[in-house]
Amino acid sequence: MFNRLFSLAVNTFKESIRDRVLVALVVIAVVVMASAKIVQPVAMGEAEKIIKDLGLSAITLFCVLIAILVGGRLVYREVEKRTIYLILARPVRRLEFILGKYLGLMMVLVVSLVVMTAGFYGVMLISRVPVSLYLIWSVVMTLFELAILTAVAVLFSTFVSPIASAVFTFMIYFIGHSTPLLKQLAGMFPSPVIKFFALFAYYILPNLNNFNIKGEVVHNIPLNFPGLLLSAGYAVVYSATLLMISVVIFNRRDF
Amino acid sequence: MSFSQRPVIEAVRLTKVYRTGFRMRRIQALVDLNLNVEKGEIFGFLGPNGAGKTTAIKVFVGLVTPDSGTAYVLGRSPKDHRVKRRIGFLPESPYFYDYLTAEEFLLLSAQLSGIPRNEIKPRVKEMLKMVRMDYAAHLQMRGFSRGMLQRIGIAQALLYDPDVVILDEPMGGLDPVGRKEFRDIIISLKERGKTVFFSTHILADVEIICDRVGIIIAGRMVKSGRLDEILTAEVESIEVTIKGATGKFRKALERVSLRVIESGDLIMLTVKNEDDVERVLAIAREASARVTAIVPRTKTLEDYFMSQLKTAGVQ
Repeated sequence: MFNRLFSLAVNTFKESIRDRVLVALVVIAVVVMASAKIVQPVAMGEAEKIIKDLGLSAITLFCVLIAILVGGRLVYREVEKRTIYLILARPVRRLEFILGKYLGLMMVLVVSLVVMTAGFYGVMLISRVPVSLYLIWSVVMTLFELAILTAVAVLFSTFVSPIASAVFTFMIYFIGHSTPLLKQLAGMFPSPVIKFFALFAYYILPNLNNFNIKGEVVHNIPLNFPGLLLSAGYAVVYSATLLMISVVIFNRRDF
Repeated sequence: MSFSQRPVIEAVRLTKVYRTGFRMRRIQALVDLNLNVEKGEIFGFLGPNGAGKTTAIKVFVGLVTPDSGTAYVLGRSPKDHRVKRRIGFLPESPYFYDYLTAEEFLLLSAQLSGIPRNEIKPRVKEMLKMVRMDYAAHLQMRGFSRGMLQRIGIAQALLYDPDVVILDEPMGGLDPVGRKEFRDIIISLKERGKTVFFSTHILADVEIICDRVGIIIAGRMVKSGRLDEILTAEVESIEVTIKGATGKFRKALERVSLRVIESGDLIMLTVKNEDDVERVLAIAREASARVTAIVPRTKTLEDYFMSQLKTAGVQ
């Protein structure tokens, strides 16, 4: 099983790496980070924070875009292009197929994160900003956030078109970063129906704010490591659950 | 019945309905389809476009679950991995990962089929050579022609040396040379004791290589059996070609013939039976014309196929 999983993951990795969209996104991300250098002369001592903040935000944003755009067509494209026939007619479980696709995209995201982070550190060195390894923690937490988003994108990709999948995943990303608002919303309205739906969404949607520690690392505020570990565990469990749902949907399909 | 005596592919009352479009219109793809393919035979699965050939094949390779009825391949469910390991499958106009090179794709296919690691590379090389694609092993499949893709398709189907080979429209898009090569490959598979099941709407291919055929129309199997059973050797008509008959003799010849085709000073007459042939010959002798050919026409698969289509009411 692991051999097949690995083969499928490597194939997905090759597919994305040979895709110009991915390369373009990584290059643009680095260019955006470098653009922070422009503000240096006018930022009056704030330049360091701006460069770090912008760099980490660009890494997150562009990796989220990769997860959403590439992830959203991951399974759909195989069905549409009928390449899936040749995979599933072989002794390959549909579970292996979904997990292989997912792990392949995670490999792509890890490589993208590494390249972008290297670019980020390059920009800091060129800008003569004091370089600190503490910033890496933000990138690590971004990886866990991406694990969840990729699972969301794969789930949608098993039954809707890439565009719909991208839109839904982006909505989940957006709401996922404002889940505390949902709880406030539940408290604000007396209507039990609205209360129910707001709370339901609060508990069911991923709380992605847990993975955003950019403020802390940029301002050198001490991190709550047990809390981060908990968030990482949450990401693993949440992603695994979504992938299992994807497999259940996928198992029922005809091709 | 012992395991080895069971048909290699067995379909029992397969039924499949698709629902498509916004209004979920029902499309009956398979209706109580029964079928047996015995070990070591080449079975041709014939039918017009949209008859349900591809759906049936997808059931046999485990891509589609029938609504009712059962399919067995090698005596087990087509979804069983022990079965999948022994099937080679080529889908209709196959699409491959065009970002991979031919060799990379075959390596991936081999890994997924569970071929032992140390056998993979030599096996892939051997298959590329067999389909005469070794020259393109390191090219991305993006730029491959239809014929090249079809060759890679057969290579991936035969990678694991499968016992059963299922091919959906394997001759589609191939030029005459490619078709001849394909037929040779299929025949060599039979010689090695493999079972070959392939669908087509090109009747000539079937007449040349198949042991048995099944004809599917609108999701139903309307006939299956050996070709010589389906096409009785009964003479349908006789064609007589005559050179140099003119004037009143020509008129006389036209009267005894069903059809007359003229080409230069040659006349080709189609007559109903041997008595009519005698009459034609008598006229020709009288006219001192030369008879250059007498050819009896038996029923072809095409005639049979067309008559079946007519009975089924399919245009």
